[in-house]
Amino acid sequence: MIPIEYWLVFSSLLFCIGAYGVLTKRNAIVVLMCIEIMLNSANINLVMFSSYHTVLHGGADPSGQAFALFSIAIAAAEVAVGLAILLSVYRQYRTIEVDKINILRW
Amino acid sequence: MLEYAWLIPVFPFAAFILIAILPKRTLSWEDGAGYAIGGAAAALILSVLVIWEVMSGSTMVGDGPKFEWLIIGDISFTFGIWIDQLTAVMLVVVSVVGTLVVIYSGGYMHGEGENRRRYYAEIMLFISVMYGLVISDNYLQMFIFWELVGLCSYLLIGFWYEKPSAASAAKRAFIVTRVGDIMLMAGIIILFKYVGSLDFVTLFDQDNAAAVPTDMMVLATVLIFGGAIGKSAQFPLHEWLPDAMEGPTTVSALIHAATMVKAGVYLTARSYPLLIQAPESLLFVAVIGGVTALLAATVALVATDIKRVLAYSTISQLGYMTLALGAGGYLVLYADTGGGYSAAILHLMNHAFFKALLFLCAGSVIHAVGTNNMRLMGGLGKKMRITSMTMLVGALAIAGIPPLSGFWSKDEVLAAVYHAGEFDGIFFLLWFMGIATVFMTAFYMFRMWFMTFAGEPRSDYHAHESPKLMTVPLVILAALAAVSGFALFISDGFKYFIEGSIGGLLHEVHHESATDMLGVIFGDPLTYVSLVLATGGILLAYKMYYLPGFDRSVFARGIPGRLQVALENRWYISKFYDDFALRVVYSISLVADAFDRYVIDGIVNGFAYLGGRSGNVMRTMQTGNVQRYAGLIVIGLCLLLIFMLYIVPWGGW
Repeated sequence: MIPIEYWLVFSSLLFCIGAYGVLTKRNAIVVLMCIEIMLNSANINLVMFSSYHTVLHGGADPSGQAFALFSIAIAAAEVAVGLAILLSVYRQYRTIEVDKINILRW
Repeated sequence: MLEYAWLIPVFPFAAFILIAILPKRTLSWEDGAGYAIGGAAAALILSVLVIWEVMSGSTMVGDGPKFEWLIIGDISFTFGIWIDQLTAVMLVVVSVVGTLVVIYSGGYMHGEGENRRRYYAEIMLFISVMYGLVISDNYLQMFIFWELVGLCSYLLIGFWYEKPSAASAAKRAFIVTRVGDIMLMAGIIILFKYVGSLDFVTLFDQDNAAAVPTDMMVLATVLIFGGAIGKSAQFPLHEWLPDAMEGPTTVSALIHAATMVKAGVYLTARSYPLLIQAPESLLFVAVIGGVTALLAATVALVATDIKRVLAYSTISQLGYMTLALGAGGYLVLYADTGGGYSAAILHLMNHAFFKALLFLCAGSVIHAVGTNNMRLMGGLGKKMRITSMTMLVGALAIAGIPPLSGFWSKDEVLAAVYHAGEFDGIFFLLWFMGIATVFMTAFYMFRMWFMTFAGEPRSDYHAHESPKLMTVPLVILAALAAVSGFALFISDGFKYFIEGSIGGLLHEVHHESATDMLGVIFGDPLTYVSLVLATGGILLAYKMYYLPGFDRSVFARGIPGRLQVALENRWYISKFYDDFALRVVYSISLVADAFDRYVIDGIVNGFAYLGGRSGNVMRTMQTGNVQRYAGLIVIGLCLLLIFMLYIVPWGGW
């Protein structure tokens, strides 16, 4: 079995890559994609801990797997909503670059 | 029936309320004078009933009805009544003078129109709160009425408030007496701190009073007397009283004879059981009294305003009373006699009658002539027979010519002071000041009388005698001023009667018959000294102001001239206060103003500025850039994680 540290390092890297993308990319669609990466890093953690639970304590506990599925479903819905928002934002401002859309301020 | 004595202030107060709120047409005669006379007369009847009861031997000291109005923990403050011989005398003085003044006002204030309503309302409030002060059975109640008396005097002195001099005189009276009021309050607080009660019955118990350390007792009594210095216009706070002449003459009569200034003497007399504990304060009281008597009499020598002469004479006579109270305390302590105390109260009563008379006569003259300046009067004797004759009675009474009232009480005062000299030499000096004042009193009173009524008119006026409404009170007061001194001999004698209110301080009560007293008075060579001096003063005034051909210009040159200038400037005391106020107080005010403007306001404005500026800086963080917000969230999360994972375990929380 792959050691638990590998999984943790992998998912952390994935999360950081996603966070970096969210903070730096100007295109809103790329930002949305980066959020998906972050969500997936969390899913990996959920699945990983779920499988290790079976190994360490005996007996299967599928709740981690179930949560991962749940979160994938939510991510799908979120992408749909997010793209819809981006579409209407584009209609309004003719751009989807996030640093241009900053009217919500003092 | 003494438990109904609380009704005495209620009647004038009811008159005050009625005059103040009733519709104009129901006020009818003289805009409310009818209600005022009714209220005053009702109080007069009750007061006479009270003194009747007290004379037949019943008093109410500490066992009267009480009304609790403030409870803090175990301490409760009450309104109550305290009726003893002193209270009874004060009640009679206030009610007789008050009633006569109100009746007289019916004629005197006739020309005031709409303002009469305000006048009668304020007069009734004034009389009412004075009754309240007199029947108080604790210092707090007394202080409340004390302040109300001050307020009423402010309102009445400033009755013609559209006149700037009257407005400023009212303010002056209020502020100067306030200095005394603060001292009185401080004294009361000291007593309360050590004894834990302000009721007379507790404080006057010699065992409770012993709980106060000696030096604190001296301080407390001096401070309480400080209240009397302010209210009774004693040196150095006496300058408000002559200025208070800006009010209507009836108000002056009331202030000088019955209310206000008598409150201070009453307070000192009332606090006797405390003063006895501190002989140093008694000496202070006596010295202030002696100095005031002499100082005020000297200024009265040169005053040309008829009311100012009377004002300074009041201050001087109040000085006598204070002097007698101070000397009387020594007599109680060392000679076991209440001679000085009774002399002071007798003089208070006699002075109330003859000073009210003199003021109302002066009012009658001013009413007829239309000026206060005696240089413009003269020759009024023929035209105003009743006024001039009654005023002559008043002047003879105050000068101390037997058998009029002033003679008896002034003689008692001087005898008490001389007697006290056996126990402290300074009383001889004070006696000398008192005897000098006798001469001056006789002189300035007759100077005033001759300048007003004798000779030829010095200006163009058509004087006529005042209406009956004004002359009848004059005649009644003249009769009282003539005979009130004989109170000394009524039944057991005034001395025996009034000693009842300080009975606990004396070991045995001396009982003298009228013939004994007469023998003492006329067997004492000092009586003839004061008599000769008084007669001399009258004769000098007669020579200088009645007989023609006296060259008064000798007083205008050299040292007498300079002295006269000093006297005309009232010893520069008033000027000193003005300069003091202008320089010292004004500069303190400037500093306080600057402190307020720059330090206090600076702090407040500084905080507002800080808020504004920091808001300006902070709002630039609100860029509207979502990624920046997200970045801050991530940084915050990282810091939180570091804190929770490393700092918290490291610190051992």
